[in-house]
Amino acid sequence: MPRQRLFHIVLFAYPRDFRHEYGLQMEQFFRDCYRAEKMSRGHLGVGGLWFRTLLDLARAAPREHLENLGKENPIMKNLRRNALAFLGSIALIVIAFLLMSYGKKHEVSAILAFGRILDALMTAGIVGNLIVFLLVAVTRFNPLRIALWTMLAVNGALLLVTVLVGSKVDPAFSLGGVLLGYIVSFLFWFTLHWFWSKASTTQAVSSES
Amino acid sequence: MVKKSIVPESLLPLRPSVFHILLALSDGDLHGYGIMQEVADHTAGQIKLGPGTLYGAIKRLLSEGLIVEADERPDPELDDERRRYYRLTDFGQKVLKAEVQRISQMVSVAQRKRLIPKTRS
Repeated sequence: MPRQRLFHIVLFAYPRDFRHEYGLQMEQFFRDCYRAEKMSRGHLGVGGLWFRTLLDLARAAPREHLENLGKENPIMKNLRRNALAFLGSIALIVIAFLLMSYGKKHEVSAILAFGRILDALMTAGIVGNLIVFLLVAVTRFNPLRIALWTMLAVNGALLLVTVLVGSKVDPAFSLGGVLLGYIVSFLFWFTLHWFWSKASTTQAVSSES
Repeated sequence: MVKKSIVPESLLPLRPSVFHILLALSDGDLHGYGIMQEVADHTAGQIKLGPGTLYGAIKRLLSEGLIVEADERPDPELDDERRRYYRLTDFGQKVLKAEVQRISQMVSVAQRKRLIPKTRS
């Protein structure tokens, strides 16, 4: 019957688990309501039923989705967070590249400097965090200490490579700009790791108590 | 999951839809459509629960242990086997009583302030 098919489609607005658990019951519920409204008030009743059902959908479906997000399993949450961080990093690298191209082309030093800082931040961020992640996973050293030394080493190494290669390849190369970029990058990533370490300690204490 | 250490008062105040569902189930086991009809009856048609609100509330009530799915069917001969019936648990009964008590205290306050006339029992 078309009305049932339509209601079946409406059910797709709800989360899959909820639909799986209560979909059949909800279809039965709608059939009962439809039959009763048609018998008592005809088409007007059916119109009212659809109006109420859609209004109810607009209120109930977002609530179920929100509730589902809240109890998402931790692995999925981490994966989602990591994927977002990864995509965010790629987007920032592209922005940095575009800014530097624009800055070079139009000789706008402020944009060029911002692009350099962003570039240092993202390159060191991706390489450094990957190393930190691996070291934390395979060693038993203090994660904050790992982050400190890794970020120092990675930023230093990248600075050296940029100075050696950039000065020969790039005519608009600026040692001061590159140096500033990697200092900002080191301070940014180390501060972020410090906050993460504080947050995870607080979380561990509160879950124990 | 049923949280057994929860005191009924900690779940108050109940959402209106939840309160009406528990009130409807206080007379006996009902399926979803039956709950909706009962709620519409005792609110003189003012509240007509939609499917999403009703089954969303049922899901939460089941997880909090206020209701359970009933094993027996009131009249298996006349009924569709696929329907699920719901039953108020002892804990659900306590929560409902606590909410009724809370509301009646509010009504008493309103009566003392002469916002509504006193009812004679």
